[in-house]
Amino acid sequence: MAATESLLLAAGVMFATLAVGGALASRLDQSVIPAYIVAGVLVGPNAPEIAGQSLILVQQQEFITLLQELGIVLLLFFIGLEFDLSSLLRRREAVTRAAGVDLLLNAGAGFALGYAFGFGLVESVLLAGATYISSSAIITKSLIELGWIADPEAEAILGVLIAEDLVIAVYLALLTAVALSGGTLASALVPLGISVAVIAALVALATVGTPLVARALDTDADELFLLRIVAAVTVVAGVALALGVSEAVAAFFLGAAVGGTEHAHRVERVITSERDLYAAVFFFAIGLGTDPGALGAVAVPLAALVAVTVVTKLVSGYLGAAAYGLTERRRVRMALAMVARGEFSLVLAALAVTAGLDPQLTALIVGYVLAMSILGTVLMRLSGRVEALVARLRGGAGDGATPS
Amino acid sequence: MTVYETDVPGVGKKFEVDVGGGARAVVLLHHDGRVELFRRPDADADSEKVFELTSQQANYLGSILEGAYFETVDMDRLSVPLGDAIIEWVDITDASPVAGRTLAEADLRAVSGISVIAVQRGPDTVPNPGPDFRVEPGDILVTLGTREQQSVFADRCQGGDATIDGVDDGAGADGTDGA
Repeated sequence: MAATESLLLAAGVMFATLAVGGALASRLDQSVIPAYIVAGVLVGPNAPEIAGQSLILVQQQEFITLLQELGIVLLLFFIGLEFDLSSLLRRREAVTRAAGVDLLLNAGAGFALGYAFGFGLVESVLLAGATYISSSAIITKSLIELGWIADPEAEAILGVLIAEDLVIAVYLALLTAVALSGGTLASALVPLGISVAVIAALVALATVGTPLVARALDTDADELFLLRIVAAVTVVAGVALALGVSEAVAAFFLGAAVGGTEHAHRVERVITSERDLYAAVFFFAIGLGTDPGALGAVAVPLAALVAVTVVTKLVSGYLGAAAYGLTERRRVRMALAMVARGEFSLVLAALAVTAGLDPQLTALIVGYVLAMSILGTVLMRLSGRVEALVARLRGGAGDGATPS
Repeated sequence: MTVYETDVPGVGKKFEVDVGGGARAVVLLHHDGRVELFRRPDADADSEKVFELTSQQANYLGSILEGAYFETVDMDRLSVPLGDAIIEWVDITDASPVAGRTLAEADLRAVSGISVIAVQRGPDTVPNPGPDFRVEPGDILVTLGTREQQSVFADRCQGGDATIDGVDDGAGADGTDGA
Protein backbone atom coordinates (compact mmCIF):
# COMPACT_ATOMS: atom_id res chain seq x y z
CA MET A 1 0.00 0.00 0.00
CA ALA A 2 2.78 2.38 0.94
CA ALA A 3 4.31 1.92 -2.49
CA THR A 4 1.01 2.75 -4.21
CA GLU A 5 0.54 5.84 -2.10
CA SER A 6 4.01 7.15 -2.84
CA LEU A 7 3.54 6.44 -6.55
CA LEU A 8 0.31 8.35 -6.69
CA LEU A 9 1.79 11.22 -4.73
CA ALA A 10 4.87 11.32 -6.98
CA ALA A 11 2.57 11.45 -10.01
CA GLY A 12 0.59 14.21 -8.30
CA VAL A 13 3.72 16.28 -7.66
CA MET A 14 4.84 15.72 -11.23
CA PHE A 15 1.58 16.84 -12.83
CA ALA A 16 1.18 19.75 -10.41
CA THR A 17 4.69 21.02 -11.24
CA LEU A 18 3.96 20.60 -14.95
CA ALA A 19 0.67 22.49 -14.58
CA VAL A 20 2.36 25.41 -12.81
CA GLY A 21 5.28 25.44 -15.26
CA GLY A 22 2.95 25.34 -18.27
CA ALA A 23 0.83 28.18 -16.88
CA LEU A 24 3.92 30.34 -16.26
CA ALA A 25 5.25 29.67 -19.76
CA SER A 26 1.93 30.63 -21.37
CA ARG A 27 1.82 33.79 -19.26
CA LEU A 28 5.28 34.71 -20.57
CA ASP A 29 4.26 33.91 -24.19
CA GLN A 30 6.82 31.13 -24.17
CA SER A 31 6.86 27.56 -25.40
CA VAL A 32 5.90 25.07 -22.71
CA ILE A 33 8.77 22.71 -23.55
CA PRO A 34 11.56 24.49 -21.62
CA ALA A 35 9.13 25.03 -18.73
CA TYR A 36 8.41 21.29 -18.51
CA ILE A 37 12.13 20.47 -18.54
CA VAL A 38 12.85 23.01 -15.79
CA ALA A 39 9.93 21.58 -13.79
CA GLY A 40 11.63 18.18 -13.95
CA VAL A 41 14.97 19.62 -12.87
CA LEU A 42 13.43 21.50 -9.94
CA VAL A 43 11.69 18.55 -8.25
CA GLY A 44 13.88 15.71 -9.53
CA PRO A 45 16.90 13.89 -8.09
CA ASN A 46 19.15 16.81 -9.01
CA ALA A 47 16.93 19.42 -7.36
CA PRO A 48 18.78 22.33 -5.79
CA GLU A 49 18.90 22.70 -2.01
CA ILE A 50 17.24 25.78 -0.65
CA ALA A 51 18.08 26.76 2.96
CA GLY A 52 19.32 23.25 3.72
CA GLN A 53 16.04 21.77 2.49
CA SER A 54 16.28 19.51 -0.51
CA LEU A 55 13.51 19.92 -3.07
CA ILE A 56 13.75 16.32 -4.28
CA LEU A 57 10.14 15.17 -4.60
CA VAL A 58 10.16 12.85 -7.58
CA GLN A 59 12.69 10.13 -8.34
CA GLN A 60 13.35 8.70 -11.79
CA GLN A 61 10.84 5.89 -11.52
CA GLU A 62 9.65 3.12 -13.74
CA PHE A 63 6.18 4.57 -14.18
CA ILE A 64 7.70 7.82 -15.42
CA THR A 65 9.90 5.93 -17.85
CA LEU A 66 6.80 4.22 -19.23
CA LEU A 67 4.82 7.44 -19.61
CA GLN A 68 7.88 9.07 -21.16
CA GLU A 69 8.10 6.29 -23.76
CA LEU A 70 4.39 6.71 -24.51
CA GLY A 71 5.10 10.42 -24.96
CA ILE A 72 7.86 9.75 -27.49
CA VAL A 73 5.89 7.25 -29.56
CA LEU A 74 2.70 9.34 -29.55
CA LEU A 75 4.66 12.48 -30.55
CA LEU A 76 6.20 10.61 -33.46
CA PHE A 77 2.90 8.92 -34.30
CA PHE A 78 1.28 12.34 -34.69
CA ILE A 79 4.15 13.66 -36.79
CA GLY A 80 3.68 10.64 -39.06
CA LEU A 81 -0.07 11.24 -39.07
CA GLU A 82 0.42 14.78 -40.34
CA PHE A 83 3.13 13.75 -42.77
CA ASP A 84 1.94 14.82 -46.18
CA LEU A 85 4.06 13.49 -49.00
CA SER A 86 1.91 15.14 -51.67
CA SER A 87 2.69 18.62 -50.32
CA LEU A 88 6.39 17.82 -50.70
CA LEU A 89 5.94 16.53 -54.22
CA ARG A 90 3.90 19.54 -55.27
CA ARG A 91 6.81 21.91 -54.65
CA ARG A 92 9.45 19.28 -55.32
CA GLU A 93 12.16 21.57 -56.62
CA ALA A 94 11.77 24.27 -53.96
CA VAL A 95 11.62 21.71 -51.15
CA THR A 96 14.66 19.84 -52.39
CA ARG A 97 16.75 23.00 -52.49
CA ALA A 98 15.47 24.42 -49.20
CA ALA A 99 15.77 21.11 -47.34
CA GLY A 100 19.18 20.39 -48.89
CA VAL A 101 20.68 23.67 -47.64
CA ASP A 102 18.99 23.08 -44.29
CA LEU A 103 20.53 19.63 -43.90
CA LEU A 104 23.96 20.59 -45.16
CA LEU A 105 24.42 23.68 -42.99
CA ASN A 106 22.82 22.58 -39.74
CA ALA A 107 23.74 18.94 -39.54
CA GLY A 108 27.18 19.86 -40.88
CA ALA A 109 27.71 22.47 -38.16
CA GLY A 110 26.56 20.08 -35.42
CA PHE A 111 28.81 17.30 -36.66
CA ALA A 112 31.87 19.53 -37.04
CA LEU A 113 31.41 21.11 -33.61
CA GLY A 114 30.84 17.68 -32.01
CA TYR A 115 34.10 16.49 -33.47
CA ALA A 116 35.85 19.68 -32.37
CA PHE A 117 34.54 19.19 -28.81
CA GLY A 118 36.26 15.79 -28.78
CA PHE A 119 33.18 13.56 -29.12
CA GLY A 120 33.38 10.25 -30.98
CA LEU A 121 31.84 9.54 -34.38
CA VAL A 122 28.43 8.27 -33.17
CA GLU A 123 28.13 11.13 -30.64
CA SER A 124 28.98 13.67 -33.31
CA VAL A 125 26.41 12.21 -35.71
CA LEU A 126 23.82 12.36 -32.94
CA LEU A 127 24.69 15.99 -32.23
CA ALA A 128 24.34 16.70 -35.95
CA GLY A 129 20.75 15.42 -35.78
CA ALA A 130 20.02 17.55 -32.71
CA THR A 131 21.20 20.77 -34.37
CA TYR A 132 19.54 19.89 -37.69
CA ILE A 133 15.96 19.27 -36.69
CA SER A 134 13.76 22.29 -35.96
CA SER A 135 10.85 21.91 -33.58
CA SER A 136 7.57 21.36 -35.45
CA ALA A 137 5.66 21.66 -32.16
CA ILE A 138 7.04 25.06 -31.16
CA ILE A 139 7.08 26.52 -34.66
CA THR A 140 3.57 25.40 -35.66
CA LYS A 141 2.15 26.79 -32.42
CA SER A 142 3.86 30.15 -32.93
CA LEU A 143 2.74 30.27 -36.58
CA ILE A 144 -0.86 29.97 -35.41
CA GLU A 145 -0.52 32.45 -32.57
CA LEU A 146 1.19 35.08 -34.69
CA GLY A 147 -1.20 34.58 -37.61
CA TRP A 148 1.68 33.78 -40.01
CA ILE A 149 -0.12 30.55 -40.74
CA ALA A 150 -2.27 32.47 -43.24
CA ASP A 151 0.76 33.95 -45.04
CA PRO A 152 2.84 32.43 -47.85
CA GLU A 153 5.88 31.81 -45.61
CA ALA A 154 3.88 29.19 -43.68
CA GLU A 155 3.89 26.89 -46.70
CA ALA A 156 7.67 27.10 -47.03
CA ILE A 157 8.27 26.70 -43.29
CA LEU A 158 5.96 23.70 -42.94
CA GLY A 159 7.33 22.22 -46.16
CA VAL A 160 10.88 22.24 -44.82
CA LEU A 161 9.69 20.91 -41.44
CA ILE A 162 8.04 17.95 -43.17
CA ALA A 163 11.16 17.29 -45.21
CA GLU A 164 13.12 17.32 -41.94
CA ASP A 165 10.70 14.79 -40.46
CA LEU A 166 11.31 12.42 -43.33
CA VAL A 167 15.09 12.83 -43.16
CA ILE A 168 15.13 12.37 -39.40
CA ALA A 169 12.98 9.22 -39.60
CA VAL A 170 15.52 7.56 -41.89
CA TYR A 171 18.41 8.99 -39.86
CA LEU A 172 16.92 7.79 -36.55
CA ALA A 173 16.39 4.31 -37.94
CA LEU A 174 20.02 4.08 -39.01
CA LEU A 175 21.43 5.78 -35.92
CA THR A 176 19.42 3.65 -33.49
CA ALA A 177 20.65 0.48 -35.13
CA VAL A 178 24.24 1.69 -34.93
CA ALA A 179 24.08 3.26 -31.47
CA LEU A 180 22.31 0.35 -29.77
CA SER A 181 24.63 -2.27 -31.23
CA GLY A 182 27.87 -0.92 -29.84
CA GLY A 183 28.67 1.90 -32.19
CA THR A 184 30.57 0.32 -35.04
CA LEU A 185 29.24 -0.12 -38.54
CA ALA A 186 30.29 -3.77 -38.72
CA SER A 187 28.34 -4.79 -35.61
CA ALA A 188 25.38 -2.76 -36.84
CA LEU A 189 24.89 -4.57 -40.14
CA VAL A 190 22.36 -7.09 -38.81
CA PRO A 191 20.36 -4.50 -36.79
CA LEU A 192 20.44 -2.24 -39.85
CA GLY A 193 19.02 -5.07 -41.96
CA ILE A 194 16.22 -5.63 -39.42
CA SER A 195 15.50 -1.90 -39.30
CA VAL A 196 15.19 -1.73 -43.05
CA ALA A 197 12.88 -4.78 -43.06
CA VAL A 198 10.61 -3.45 -40.29
CA ILE A 199 10.40 -0.03 -41.87
CA ALA A 200 9.75 -1.52 -45.29
CA ALA A 201 6.86 -3.48 -43.77
CA LEU A 202 5.44 -0.32 -42.19
CA VAL A 203 5.87 1.68 -45.40
CA ALA A 204 3.99 -1.07 -47.23
CA LEU A 205 1.24 -0.75 -44.62
CA ALA A 206 1.20 3.03 -45.19
CA THR A 207 0.94 2.71 -48.96
CA VAL A 208 -0.89 -0.44 -50.08
CA GLY A 209 -2.22 -1.46 -46.66
CA THR A 210 -4.42 1.59 -46.13
CA PRO A 211 -7.77 -0.25 -46.52
CA LEU A 212 -6.60 -2.80 -43.96
CA VAL A 213 -5.69 -0.06 -41.45
CA ALA A 214 -8.97 1.73 -42.11
CA ARG A 215 -10.99 -1.44 -41.43
CA ALA A 216 -9.04 -2.25 -38.27
CA LEU A 217 -9.89 1.17 -36.84
CA ASP A 218 -13.51 1.21 -37.90
CA THR A 219 -15.68 1.64 -34.80
CA ASP A 220 -18.40 4.07 -33.73
CA ALA A 221 -17.30 4.44 -30.12
CA ASP A 222 -14.53 6.96 -29.43
CA GLU A 223 -13.48 4.89 -26.45
CA LEU A 224 -12.85 1.79 -28.55
CA PHE A 225 -11.15 3.89 -31.16
CA LEU A 226 -8.78 5.35 -28.57
CA LEU A 227 -7.92 1.88 -27.28
CA ARG A 228 -7.27 0.54 -30.76
CA ILE A 229 -4.96 3.42 -31.66
CA VAL A 230 -3.01 3.24 -28.39
CA ALA A 231 -2.82 -0.55 -28.70
CA ALA A 232 -1.55 -0.37 -32.27
CA VAL A 233 1.04 2.29 -31.43
CA THR A 234 2.39 0.53 -28.34
CA VAL A 235 2.44 -2.94 -29.92
CA VAL A 236 4.19 -1.78 -33.08
CA ALA A 237 6.66 0.43 -31.17
CA GLY A 238 7.28 -2.28 -28.57
CA VAL A 239 7.92 -4.99 -31.16
CA ALA A 240 10.20 -2.62 -33.05
CA LEU A 241 12.22 -1.83 -29.93
CA ALA A 242 12.47 -5.53 -29.06
CA LEU A 243 13.96 -6.08 -32.53
CA GLY A 244 16.43 -3.25 -31.97
CA VAL A 245 14.57 -0.87 -34.31
CA SER A 246 13.84 2.72 -33.28
CA GLU A 247 10.38 2.73 -31.63
CA ALA A 248 10.03 6.38 -32.62
CA VAL A 249 10.51 5.61 -36.29
CA ALA A 250 8.07 2.69 -36.13
CA ALA A 251 5.50 5.00 -34.55
CA PHE A 252 6.17 7.60 -37.24
CA PHE A 253 5.44 5.20 -40.10
CA LEU A 254 2.40 3.76 -38.32
CA GLY A 255 1.17 7.35 -38.02
CA ALA A 256 1.70 7.85 -41.75
CA ALA A 257 -0.32 4.67 -42.37
CA VAL A 258 -3.24 5.95 -40.27
CA GLY A 259 -2.86 9.40 -41.83
CA GLY A 260 -3.73 7.89 -45.20
CA THR A 261 -7.15 6.75 -43.98
CA GLU A 262 -10.29 8.73 -43.27
CA HIS A 263 -9.62 8.25 -39.55
CA ALA A 264 -6.85 10.86 -39.47
CA HIS A 265 -9.06 13.72 -38.23
CA ARG A 266 -10.62 11.50 -35.62
CA VAL A 267 -7.20 10.69 -34.20
CA GLU A 268 -6.52 14.41 -33.89
CA ARG A 269 -9.84 14.91 -32.14
CA VAL A 270 -9.76 11.92 -29.81
CA ILE A 271 -6.10 11.36 -29.01
CA THR A 272 -4.42 14.78 -29.01
CA SER A 273 -4.99 15.20 -25.28
CA GLU A 274 -3.28 11.85 -24.55
CA ARG A 275 -0.33 12.88 -26.66
CA ASP A 276 -0.05 16.23 -24.86
CA LEU A 277 -0.20 14.56 -21.46
CA TYR A 278 2.50 11.97 -22.15
CA ALA A 279 4.67 14.40 -24.11
CA ALA A 280 4.66 16.68 -21.05
CA VAL A 281 5.87 13.72 -18.98
CA PHE A 282 8.57 13.08 -21.58
CA PHE A 283 9.92 16.63 -21.24
CA PHE A 284 9.62 16.39 -17.45
CA ALA A 285 11.60 13.13 -17.45
CA ILE A 286 14.32 14.82 -19.51
CA GLY A 287 14.48 17.40 -16.72
CA LEU A 288 14.61 14.66 -14.05
CA GLY A 289 17.70 13.23 -15.72
CA THR A 290 19.39 16.61 -16.05
CA ASP A 291 21.95 17.78 -13.50
CA PRO A 292 22.28 21.59 -13.55
CA GLY A 293 25.90 21.05 -12.54
CA ALA A 294 26.51 19.03 -15.70
CA LEU A 295 24.97 21.86 -17.71
CA GLY A 296 27.47 24.22 -16.11
CA ALA A 297 30.32 21.91 -17.09
CA VAL A 298 29.35 22.08 -20.79
CA ALA A 299 28.70 25.84 -20.76
CA VAL A 300 31.49 26.73 -23.18
CA PRO A 301 30.70 24.15 -25.90
CA LEU A 302 27.00 24.91 -25.36
CA ALA A 303 27.53 28.62 -26.01
CA ALA A 304 29.54 27.84 -29.14
CA LEU A 305 26.91 25.36 -30.36
CA VAL A 306 24.07 27.85 -29.83
CA ALA A 307 25.94 30.73 -31.45
CA VAL A 308 26.92 28.78 -34.56
CA THR A 309 23.66 26.91 -35.16
CA VAL A 310 21.48 29.97 -34.67
CA VAL A 311 23.39 31.51 -37.55
CA THR A 312 23.28 28.37 -39.71
CA LYS A 313 19.49 28.06 -39.25
CA LEU A 314 19.01 31.75 -40.01
CA VAL A 315 21.00 31.34 -43.21
CA SER A 316 19.36 28.07 -44.28
CA GLY A 317 15.90 29.46 -43.47
CA TYR A 318 16.60 32.59 -45.50
CA LEU A 319 17.91 30.62 -48.47
CA GLY A 320 15.05 28.13 -48.16
CA ALA A 321 12.50 30.95 -48.38
CA ALA A 322 14.37 32.27 -51.42
CA ALA A 323 14.06 28.82 -53.03
CA TYR A 324 10.29 29.12 -52.52
CA GLY A 325 10.41 32.51 -54.27
CA LEU A 326 9.34 34.52 -51.22
CA THR A 327 9.98 38.24 -50.82
CA GLU A 328 12.79 39.68 -48.72
CA ARG A 329 10.63 40.29 -45.66
CA ARG A 330 9.18 36.80 -45.69
CA ARG A 331 12.65 35.33 -46.07
CA VAL A 332 13.68 37.07 -42.86
CA ARG A 333 10.60 35.65 -41.18
CA MET A 334 11.27 32.10 -42.28
CA ALA A 335 14.88 32.47 -41.12
CA LEU A 336 13.68 33.48 -37.64
CA ALA A 337 10.98 30.82 -37.54
CA MET A 338 13.30 27.88 -38.20
CA VAL A 339 15.62 28.58 -35.22
CA ALA A 340 13.59 26.76 -32.54
CA ARG A 341 14.75 23.23 -31.71
CA GLY A 342 12.74 21.06 -29.38
CA GLU A 343 11.08 17.68 -29.07
CA PHE A 344 13.06 15.85 -31.75
CA SER A 345 16.45 16.90 -30.40
CA LEU A 346 15.29 15.64 -27.01
CA VAL A 347 14.29 12.29 -28.51
CA LEU A 348 17.92 12.10 -29.61
CA ALA A 349 19.10 13.03 -26.10
CA ALA A 350 16.94 10.19 -24.73
CA LEU A 351 18.48 7.85 -27.30
CA ALA A 352 21.95 8.90 -26.14
CA VAL A 353 20.98 7.88 -22.59
CA THR A 354 19.54 4.52 -23.73
CA ALA A 355 22.60 3.74 -25.81
CA GLY A 356 24.91 4.63 -22.92
CA LEU A 357 26.71 7.36 -24.87
CA ASP A 358 28.85 10.10 -23.27
CA PRO A 359 26.67 11.75 -20.54
CA GLN A 360 28.18 15.11 -21.49
CA LEU A 361 26.45 14.79 -24.85
CA THR A 362 23.05 14.42 -23.19
CA ALA A 363 23.68 17.43 -20.97
CA LEU A 364 24.81 19.42 -24.00
CA ILE A 365 21.67 18.58 -26.01
CA VAL A 366 19.31 19.31 -23.11
CA GLY A 367 20.99 22.66 -22.47
CA TYR A 368 20.87 23.31 -26.21
CA VAL A 369 17.13 22.66 -26.43
CA LEU A 370 16.48 24.85 -23.38
CA ALA A 371 18.32 27.72 -25.06
CA MET A 372 17.00 27.18 -28.60
CA SER A 373 13.34 26.65 -27.68
CA ILE A 374 13.29 29.96 -25.80
CA LEU A 375 15.44 31.79 -28.34
CA GLY A 376 13.36 30.50 -31.25
CA THR A 377 10.09 31.63 -29.70
CA VAL A 378 11.52 35.06 -28.79
CA LEU A 379 12.99 35.60 -32.26
CA MET A 380 9.62 34.91 -33.90
CA ARG A 381 7.92 37.42 -31.63
CA LEU A 382 10.58 40.03 -32.38
CA SER A 383 10.25 39.54 -36.13
CA GLY A 384 8.71 42.97 -36.68
CA ARG A 385 11.81 44.70 -35.32
CA VAL A 386 14.21 42.34 -37.07
CA GLU A 387 12.44 42.89 -40.39
CA ALA A 388 12.67 46.67 -39.93
CA LEU A 389 16.35 46.38 -39.00
CA VAL A 390 17.13 44.24 -42.04
CA ALA A 391 15.25 46.64 -44.28
CA ARG A 392 17.28 49.57 -42.88
CA LEU A 393 20.59 47.71 -43.22
CA ARG A 394 19.69 46.71 -46.75
CA GLY A 395 18.68 50.25 -47.56
CA GLY A 396 21.94 51.60 -46.10
CA ALA A 397 24.04 49.01 -47.89
CA GLY A 398 22.21 49.72 -51.12
CA ASP A 399 22.91 53.48 -50.85
CA GLY A 400 26.57 52.88 -50.23
CA ALA A 401 27.08 50.28 -52.91
CA THR A 402 25.15 51.71 -55.80
CA PRO A 403 25.55 55.36 -56.78
CA SER A 404 22.08 55.47 -58.36
CA MET B 1 -12.68 32.94 -59.77
CA THR B 2 -9.87 30.89 -58.27
CA VAL B 3 -9.94 29.35 -54.82
CA TYR B 4 -6.50 28.33 -53.58
CA GLU B 5 -6.65 25.32 -51.30
CA THR B 6 -3.69 24.04 -49.29
CA ASP B 7 -3.24 21.44 -46.58
CA VAL B 8 -1.57 22.87 -43.49
CA PRO B 9 0.08 19.91 -41.75
CA GLY B 10 -0.88 19.60 -38.12
CA VAL B 11 -3.36 22.45 -38.38
CA GLY B 12 -6.00 21.84 -41.03
CA LYS B 13 -6.88 23.32 -44.40
CA LYS B 14 -6.32 26.78 -45.80
CA PHE B 15 -8.40 28.45 -48.50
CA GLU B 16 -7.58 31.73 -50.21
CA VAL B 17 -9.96 33.73 -52.36
CA ASP B 18 -9.27 36.94 -54.28
CA VAL B 19 -11.65 39.59 -53.03
CA GLY B 20 -10.65 42.46 -55.32
CA GLY B 21 -8.08 45.23 -55.14
CA GLY B 22 -5.29 42.68 -54.71
CA ALA B 23 -6.70 41.66 -51.33
CA ARG B 24 -7.35 38.08 -50.38
CA ALA B 25 -9.63 36.44 -47.86
CA VAL B 26 -7.85 33.61 -46.10
CA VAL B 27 -9.92 30.96 -44.37
CA LEU B 28 -8.19 28.54 -42.04
CA LEU B 29 -10.21 25.42 -41.15
CA HIS B 30 -8.71 23.80 -38.08
CA HIS B 31 -8.96 20.04 -37.62
CA ASP B 32 -11.02 20.65 -34.46
CA GLY B 33 -13.66 22.55 -36.45
CA ARG B 34 -12.64 26.08 -35.45
CA VAL B 35 -12.45 28.54 -38.33
CA GLU B 36 -10.18 31.56 -38.52
CA LEU B 37 -10.82 34.24 -41.11
CA PHE B 38 -8.00 36.54 -42.21
CA ARG B 39 -7.75 39.37 -44.67
CA ARG B 40 -4.54 40.03 -46.53
CA PRO B 41 -4.68 43.55 -48.06
CA ASP B 42 -2.01 42.80 -50.69
CA ALA B 43 0.43 40.06 -51.58
CA ASP B 44 3.24 41.43 -49.46
CA ALA B 45 1.18 42.49 -46.46
CA ASP B 46 0.57 40.55 -43.27
CA SER B 47 -2.69 38.70 -42.93
CA GLU B 48 -4.90 40.41 -40.39
CA LYS B 49 -7.17 38.17 -38.39
CA VAL B 50 -10.75 39.28 -38.84
CA PHE B 51 -12.41 36.84 -36.47
CA GLU B 52 -12.49 33.31 -35.18
CA LEU B 53 -15.62 31.15 -35.26
CA THR B 54 -16.75 27.89 -33.75
CA SER B 55 -17.77 25.31 -36.34
CA GLN B 56 -21.45 26.03 -35.70
CA GLN B 57 -21.01 29.78 -36.10
CA ALA B 58 -19.05 29.12 -39.27
CA ASN B 59 -21.91 27.00 -40.66
CA TYR B 60 -24.42 29.78 -40.04
CA LEU B 61 -22.15 32.41 -41.53
CA GLY B 62 -21.49 30.18 -44.52
CA SER B 63 -25.16 29.69 -45.30
CA ILE B 64 -25.80 33.42 -44.97
CA LEU B 65 -22.98 34.24 -47.37
CA GLU B 66 -24.33 31.61 -49.73
CA GLY B 67 -27.80 33.20 -49.60
CA ALA B 68 -29.23 29.93 -48.38
CA TYR B 69 -30.02 30.91 -44.83
CA PHE B 70 -33.63 30.35 -43.71
CA GLU B 71 -34.97 30.75 -40.26
CA THR B 72 -38.36 29.25 -39.40
CA VAL B 73 -40.65 31.90 -37.96
CA ASP B 74 -43.22 31.14 -35.29
CA MET B 75 -46.50 32.14 -37.04
CA ASP B 76 -48.42 32.56 -33.76
CA ARG B 77 -46.22 35.44 -32.77
CA LEU B 78 -46.54 37.34 -36.02
CA SER B 79 -48.79 40.40 -35.74
CA VAL B 80 -50.46 42.10 -38.66
CA PRO B 81 -50.93 45.87 -38.21
CA LEU B 82 -54.72 45.49 -38.47
CA GLY B 83 -54.96 42.75 -35.91
CA ASP B 84 -55.97 39.54 -37.65
CA ALA B 85 -57.49 41.35 -40.58
CA ILE B 86 -56.01 41.55 -44.03
CA ILE B 87 -56.99 43.54 -47.08
CA GLU B 88 -57.88 41.85 -50.38
CA TRP B 89 -58.79 43.04 -53.83
CA VAL B 90 -61.68 41.00 -55.29
CA ASP B 91 -62.68 41.14 -58.98
CA ILE B 92 -66.43 41.03 -59.60
CA THR B 93 -67.37 39.12 -62.75
CA ASP B 94 -70.75 38.83 -64.55
CA ALA B 95 -71.21 35.45 -62.93
CA SER B 96 -70.65 36.76 -59.44
CA PRO B 97 -73.79 36.55 -57.27
CA VAL B 98 -72.93 39.98 -55.88
CA ALA B 99 -73.04 41.67 -59.27
CA GLY B 100 -76.05 43.93 -59.71
CA ARG B 101 -76.89 44.10 -56.01
CA THR B 102 -76.46 46.86 -53.49
CA LEU B 103 -74.14 46.22 -50.58
CA ALA B 104 -77.17 46.17 -48.30
CA GLU B 105 -78.85 43.51 -50.44
CA ALA B 106 -75.72 41.41 -50.56
CA ASP B 107 -75.36 41.83 -46.80
CA LEU B 108 -71.75 40.77 -47.04
CA ARG B 109 -70.93 41.39 -43.42
CA ALA B 110 -73.58 38.96 -42.24
CA VAL B 111 -72.76 36.34 -44.87
CA SER B 112 -68.94 36.25 -44.81
CA GLY B 113 -67.96 38.76 -42.15
CA ILE B 114 -65.94 41.02 -44.42
CA SER B 115 -66.33 44.79 -44.80
CA VAL B 116 -66.06 46.60 -48.11
CA ILE B 117 -63.76 49.55 -47.47
CA ALA B 118 -63.53 50.82 -51.06
CA VAL B 119 -64.60 50.01 -54.60
CA GLN B 120 -62.48 50.56 -57.66
CA ARG B 121 -64.51 51.20 -60.81
CA GLY B 122 -62.36 51.91 -63.83
CA PRO B 123 -60.07 54.80 -63.03
CA ASP B 124 -62.25 55.90 -60.06
CA THR B 125 -62.03 54.78 -56.50
CA VAL B 126 -65.10 55.05 -54.29
CA PRO B 127 -63.94 55.14 -50.70
CA ASN B 128 -66.12 53.82 -47.91
CA PRO B 129 -69.19 52.95 -50.06
CA GLY B 130 -72.64 53.18 -48.39
CA PRO B 131 -75.18 50.34 -48.04
CA ASP B 132 -77.05 51.48 -51.18
CA PHE B 133 -73.95 51.30 -53.37
CA ARG B 134 -74.75 48.99 -56.25
CA VAL B 135 -71.96 46.58 -57.27
CA GLU B 136 -71.45 46.11 -61.02
CA PRO B 137 -69.53 43.53 -63.00
CA GLY B 138 -65.92 44.73 -63.52
CA ASP B 139 -65.78 46.41 -60.13
CA ILE B 140 -62.94 45.59 -57.78
CA LEU B 141 -63.99 45.42 -54.15
CA VAL B 142 -61.37 46.29 -51.58
CA THR B 143 -62.34 44.20 -48.60
CA LEU B 144 -61.18 43.95 -45.00
CA GLY B 145 -61.51 40.75 -42.98
CA THR B 146 -59.68 37.76 -41.55
CA ARG B 147 -58.01 35.30 -43.86
CA GLU B 148 -60.92 32.87 -43.41
CA GLN B 149 -63.55 35.49 -44.04
CA GLN B 150 -61.69 36.62 -47.14
CA SER B 151 -61.53 33.10 -48.48
CA VAL B 152 -65.26 32.52 -47.91
CA PHE B 153 -66.01 35.78 -49.71
CA ALA B 154 -63.64 35.04 -52.58
CA ASP B 155 -65.22 31.60 -53.07
CA ARG B 156 -68.58 33.16 -53.18
CA CYS B 157 -67.70 35.92 -55.65
CA GLN B 158 -65.79 33.71 -58.01
CA GLY B 159 -67.46 30.30 -57.71
CA GLY B 160 -70.34 31.65 -59.86
CA ASP B 161 -72.93 28.94 -59.08
CA ALA B 162 -72.64 29.19 -55.30
CA THR B 163 -75.86 30.63 -53.93
CA ILE B 164 -75.98 33.15 -51.16
CA ASP B 165 -77.71 30.59 -48.99
CA GLY B 166 -75.06 27.98 -49.70
CA VAL B 167 -72.32 30.38 -48.77
CA ASP B 168 -74.29 31.39 -45.74
CA ASP B 169 -74.22 27.79 -44.57
CA GLY B 170 -70.53 27.51 -45.28
CA ALA B 171 -69.79 30.68 -43.37
CA GLY B 172 -71.83 29.39 -40.48
CA ALA B 173 -69.94 26.12 -40.54
CA ASP B 174 -66.67 28.04 -40.50
CA GLY B 175 -67.85 29.80 -37.38
CA THR B 176 -67.34 33.25 -38.83
CA ASP B 177 -70.81 34.52 -37.98
CA GLY B 178 -69.78 35.92 -34.71
CA ALA B 179 -66.79 37.75 -36.08
